[in-house]
Amino acid sequence: MRADNPASHAAFAKAAEYIDRKPLVSNRRSLSWITDHVCRIVEQPAPLWWWIATVCFGAVAALTPAMLTYLVATGVGVWGLNVPVCWAWDITNFVFWIGIGHAGTLISAILFLTRQKWRTSINRSAEAMTIFAVICAGIFPAFHVGRIWFAWFLFPIPNANAIWQNFRSPLLWDVFAVSTYFTVSLIFWYLGLIPDLASLRDRATTRLRQMIYGILAMGWRGSNRQWTHYEKAYLILAGISTPLVLSVHSVVSFDFATSIVPGWHTTIFPPYFVAGAIFGGFAMVLTLLIPFRELYGLHDLVTDKHIDNMCKITLLTGSLVGYAYSMEFFIAWYSGNPYEIYAFMNRAFGPYWWAYWAMITCNVIAPQLFWFKYCRQNPWVVLALVMFPNTGMWFERFVIIVTSIHRDFLPSSWGYFSPTWVDITLFIGTIGLFVFLFLLFVRFLPMITIFEVKNVTPEADPHHHGEHDSQGHASHPAPAKAHA
Amino acid sequence: MKRVLQHPPAPAHGRTYWRSLGEYAKTPDFEEWLHREFPAGAAEWEQDPLSRRNFLRLMGASLALAGLGLGGCRRPEAHLVPFTQSPEWLISGKTMSFATAQPRRRGAVPLLATTFDGRPIKMEGNPLHPFSEGKSDNHAQASILDLYDPARRRHLTFQGKKADTSQLEAEIKRVRAEASASSGATLAVLADETCSPTRERLRAELLRQFPQATWAVYEPLAPGYDAEASTAAFGPGTQFRANLANASTILAADCDFLGSEDGDLADTRNFAAGRRIRKPGDKVNRLYVAEPRFSITGSMADHRLRLRAGEVGAFLLELGRQIRSLRGNAELNAALSSAPDLPLPHGVDAAWIRECAADLVTNAGRSVVLVGRRQPASVQALALAINSALGAIGNTLVVQPAFSAPAASIRDLAARLQAGAIKSLIILGGNPIYNAPTDLSFENLLASVPSSLHLSAQPNATSAKSSWFVPGTHYLEAWGDALSGDGSYVSIQPTIQPLWAGESQLEFLCRLTGQAKPIGPALIKETFAARTNQSGQKLEDAWNNLVREGFVPASSTSAAKSVNGAAVAALAAKIGDTAEASAGALEGVFVSSPAMDDGRYLNNGWLQEWPDPMTKLTWDNAILLSSTTAKALGLRNEIVKGILVADVVRATLAGQTVEAPVVIAPGHVDFAVSLPLGYGQDELGPVAKGSGFNAYRLRRTDADYLAPGLKLEKTGRTRQLAVTQEHQVMEGRDLVREAAVAEFNEDPGWVKKVGMDAHIPPNQSFYKSPKLDGEYQWAMVIDLSTCTGCNACVTACTAENNIPIVGKDQVMKGREMHWIRVDRYYTGEPEEPEAVAQPVACMQCENAPCETVCPVNATVHNEEGLNVMAYNRCIGTRYCANNCPYKVRRFNFFDYNQRALDKLYWGPVAPKGTEETIKLQKNPNVTVRMRGVMEKCTFCVQRIEEAKISARVKARDSANIRIPAGSLKTACQQACPADAIVFGDLKNEKEQVGQLRNLPQNYSLLEYLNVRPRLTYLGRVRNPNPAMPGARTSYLPSHGHGESHGSENGRGKTEGGH
Repeated sequence: MRADNPASHAAFAKAAEYIDRKPLVSNRRSLSWITDHVCRIVEQPAPLWWWIATVCFGAVAALTPAMLTYLVATGVGVWGLNVPVCWAWDITNFVFWIGIGHAGTLISAILFLTRQKWRTSINRSAEAMTIFAVICAGIFPAFHVGRIWFAWFLFPIPNANAIWQNFRSPLLWDVFAVSTYFTVSLIFWYLGLIPDLASLRDRATTRLRQMIYGILAMGWRGSNRQWTHYEKAYLILAGISTPLVLSVHSVVSFDFATSIVPGWHTTIFPPYFVAGAIFGGFAMVLTLLIPFRELYGLHDLVTDKHIDNMCKITLLTGSLVGYAYSMEFFIAWYSGNPYEIYAFMNRAFGPYWWAYWAMITCNVIAPQLFWFKYCRQNPWVVLALVMFPNTGMWFERFVIIVTSIHRDFLPSSWGYFSPTWVDITLFIGTIGLFVFLFLLFVRFLPMITIFEVKNVTPEADPHHHGEHDSQGHASHPAPAKAHA
Repeated sequence: MKRVLQHPPAPAHGRTYWRSLGEYAKTPDFEEWLHREFPAGAAEWEQDPLSRRNFLRLMGASLALAGLGLGGCRRPEAHLVPFTQSPEWLISGKTMSFATAQPRRRGAVPLLATTFDGRPIKMEGNPLHPFSEGKSDNHAQASILDLYDPARRRHLTFQGKKADTSQLEAEIKRVRAEASASSGATLAVLADETCSPTRERLRAELLRQFPQATWAVYEPLAPGYDAEASTAAFGPGTQFRANLANASTILAADCDFLGSEDGDLADTRNFAAGRRIRKPGDKVNRLYVAEPRFSITGSMADHRLRLRAGEVGAFLLELGRQIRSLRGNAELNAALSSAPDLPLPHGVDAAWIRECAADLVTNAGRSVVLVGRRQPASVQALALAINSALGAIGNTLVVQPAFSAPAASIRDLAARLQAGAIKSLIILGGNPIYNAPTDLSFENLLASVPSSLHLSAQPNATSAKSSWFVPGTHYLEAWGDALSGDGSYVSIQPTIQPLWAGESQLEFLCRLTGQAKPIGPALIKETFAARTNQSGQKLEDAWNNLVREGFVPASSTSAAKSVNGAAVAALAAKIGDTAEASAGALEGVFVSSPAMDDGRYLNNGWLQEWPDPMTKLTWDNAILLSSTTAKALGLRNEIVKGILVADVVRATLAGQTVEAPVVIAPGHVDFAVSLPLGYGQDELGPVAKGSGFNAYRLRRTDADYLAPGLKLEKTGRTRQLAVTQEHQVMEGRDLVREAAVAEFNEDPGWVKKVGMDAHIPPNQSFYKSPKLDGEYQWAMVIDLSTCTGCNACVTACTAENNIPIVGKDQVMKGREMHWIRVDRYYTGEPEEPEAVAQPVACMQCENAPCETVCPVNATVHNEEGLNVMAYNRCIGTRYCANNCPYKVRRFNFFDYNQRALDKLYWGPVAPKGTEETIKLQKNPNVTVRMRGVMEKCTFCVQRIEEAKISARVKARDSANIRIPAGSLKTACQQACPADAIVFGDLKNEKEQVGQLRNLPQNYSLLEYLNVRPRLTYLGRVRNPNPAMPGARTSYLPSHGHGESHGSENGRGKTEGGH
């Protein structure tokens, strides 16, 4: 089958480079290299940059409790809210963070179920990001209420007054949706960590490490029986998580869609919010992974192909939200409802026009550059470009929330919102918290799923023949090893 | 000063009892023990004049005075203690009402003071009095807060230091001795106007004792030009007022009779009565307004002419000429022939005046021309001549005896002070240092008097400059009397022992005349006896009746039907020509500010936060001008982030300068500016501090109303102003619906054919509506035809429902807490706008969007159709407010009731708690909300529940437990002087509300949302004169209903079938 002519062999190999899939682990790294390389991050002393970054972001993160203390002690009035605009940065930030939290579970659950093998090297950090984003998100709805000491009224706790929650309120659905999402995501993440925690335990050189990772590994020995249980549990959790990816942001969108406010009362919201969440989430995964890949030299595990794939998803979802934006306008016009028409005209040309056009630029126009392969391949261009969706998705929520309610039905009650220093500082604080938690994560936990990455190496393939990859093609230019 | 319980002195002839040998011996030790008997309590008295103990004392005191002497005469004892045994009739926790009245410069407003356990908490109009019929206004409503103002000073002071009563006693003696020596030439009294017959009596007594003494009266907003005109026309001792009860055509020339012009209560009610339209063919009055600034009267006008205040004379001359040609009389002829022949004011359409005159003449006998009382006497005299030609005198314009005898003016007083003749000056009320004309330099004059004394309920600038300050009483603290606008005699009944141990003007005058301080109502009773010419039991009965009902109807009104033509002509001859105003020499007009009047209410938080009915400005005043004037002067207003940023100008008039922000007021006449008085008195208290500018600084004796030659220069600085409504137009939305009378007569159901209502398919609901099967079904209807937008409802609601004020900074942020607001929109051409007002409170939607979104069920529906708030359950997600299409929900962003307004952002660092006195005002039946809680209009649910309980109690064992129709009123409804708000039970056919809701002109705001509000509106009907040039006779969309509305809402094509 194979031609002996070296010239044609070279041409064939060259052609194959285009036809074949790139391997998910470059440079034919061995299994032990993968373990070593990922565990080393946790095991070796932290580099100087980590200390600097952690202290800096930790300090910024400390703004969060400081601002929350001031908020609770003084009143919601320390924010810039007012009567037509009863929600602004609080709910904007909530939806922003919860949206970011979507990529992690999407990668770990939906891509798992659809057998997308490239997920393996990014799912751990994406999931961690989800957990941290949901923590940041949860702060806002919890603390935005006027009397947080009564926030437990939101939970169906049997009480002497026999008052129940109002199950018609989307805000209550939110409470359930977000708490479920957080719980499931946390369990899912932790479950996936167990085999790697066991590896860390086994490699630990100090007693303390052995103890901590030993407890966290929950007695994992890697037996066949344990693997069987593990695989089943993981599959089940993936099954549970998948609808959650769609439901959480749909429910978040119901906060707006089920209201009667022009600009909120829109049936397109659930799919549009989910698309936007995935869009923002992937942008954030890229934002975190590209620098950490560089800092820890993980190019062979998080390859350009991973980045390329994520850019494509970003392009797709970015276009979806762009479609949604235009559809909103069309429906407003088509409805013939002057209040709806005004709401959308006001978005684009009212006092918050700058927010609207910032959103369009960041979310619709900027991602279009990902049509160009160059833009997807150069990690620094990617890093620059994903900053647009990161910003744009915050603006999207701001535009939806604030521009709709600042001018609704009665012109007499129109108002304007401007943030106070507390609004701004608290948001910066949560960004600090998010990065701070992520820095702790990369320091103390394996940021790449070691055992799953090994699964996608050629060696993991039962039909592995050394120089052939799993597809049986000799596409690797690396020197051939002798057949066994 | 240590306050010692004063035991009643033992009667001189009785046996003397002693408690111990120590007392008997009067040893110092015993005295000490007596005073130290309750050392803890005594210490408390020293530090906190309103501790629990002291409060109980006051409470008991007021109950005692409420209880005895029928209907609340004060118990004659000089010491007051709590009840040890409760009177049988007293039900703790039940409110009681006492008839009283708020003195005003043009007649007191008859009121009922609602007291709760001895503390007055709410003012209502006296329903028995024909002048108010139970109605009130913003000042009457807010005056209760003045009673509890913590800035009121508690002590007598002499040269700024606390003084003793005995020192004052000595001073009075000294003044009297000094006056006796000069037969009064050294004594002068400068008083405000209270219309009190007792004060007139004491004044006469004082002048009898000291015939040379000066008695001057100064009211900055009542310079007495109307009295001058009245004296000329009807003879001395007369005054006139409008009687709009039967007026069908009204021309108001620079007369804001629905707003700041005094006596508005009856005028508003009568005007509204003539405005009410229920079915086609109902007669509706017609209002012409010619005015400089857009007033609420102008907003009710069917035809409004922008006219400078200085042109009113020329305008009336032309009107007079037109009327003469149609229906002249001798008096008008005389006045017109003696008056100078002024040309028609520039830019005024002669046809407008012609048609207006024709209309007035057609309705002669039922028409009236009203002129602002601060217009020159000559102009007012001409107006009286016109009115006599129209047959208005005795019909729509009534003449009555003057309330008080003529007194010296502040100019006369100043001249005497200048001459150095006066050695002692007694100032009763008022604040001349602040508001006297600048050319008098009253401050220097006051400083030159050896002894000056100021008696005032509130310490102000004058108090600080007088050698003596005597804390006065609020009208709810002392006995008094007054004449109300219609001349009826009203009693002013105290409802609480003076909080700060003040003394009333009458008590002080009594002492000044050498009598002992009167006990209880003795002084008033004396006046009453003299007025009624009764004695013995008859007098007692009449007195009890007076105290119970609050008034004795006016005994006589002057029967004058004609004017003295010659005298009027002589006065009219003085009508002056007004120079043309230009951008360089503007015509300034000193107007009263709707909230602050002449400045007396400036430390009243409710009124500070009460939005000006037209500009919606709070916490500030500003120079008002038209957009043309602003453009010519390069001045700008901008809404920046919800805040009105106004250019600050330097206003110069005859060498005097003030700096003030300008507000561009639509409908203002060009090249004239309005200078609202009353602000800029930082010394009044913490609330007043920093609000507005003092326009009095420009005011001179010769320019106390009109100030031609005013210059405005841009300073380049701006000032942030707090407005409660930033957007002034309806954006083509069908919110306030208007039609002309003819359109209404043609189709009474016109409201349903306006805007989206014409197109919406029948509403369907996704949710099951809550069961509305309660015993009662509450609803409210607001008649937009009669609502003048006066905002009295806002203050009434504030008082009733313990609504906090939030301060200027918070209003600028859009956090005002008013449960009812009056939306004001401008319509029509930007140059000649019309204005409409729409009160908006919680609509109590049957299908309430706020209820579905509250996650914790804190806002739910009750079976009587009320949307109720459970404050205890509310966690403050604010979702309900977002989903409220009417934006009537209010959120407590801070602990407004617990923290000082300037320390809201300090959080727990700020001292917690509110002034004790402010707490006394709170309505105990309404929760005082804490921070983090949403609140909104409840339809005064506390009144509903109270009425239900009363009905049940009254019913006893019978089955008739329903609240009688019309007996239950919400606070806004009760206050509304125009009777525009109707509330009641839909299930009771006798209630007006159900009938109004079924009228074809009834509509719901934002009907298409299907929220099914329980608060609905009756479309506004205007009565334009079709003959008027440029009259807008059609208010409905010009196209027929069958035509496409496509351009309006894009639905034209799909709606072709209907």
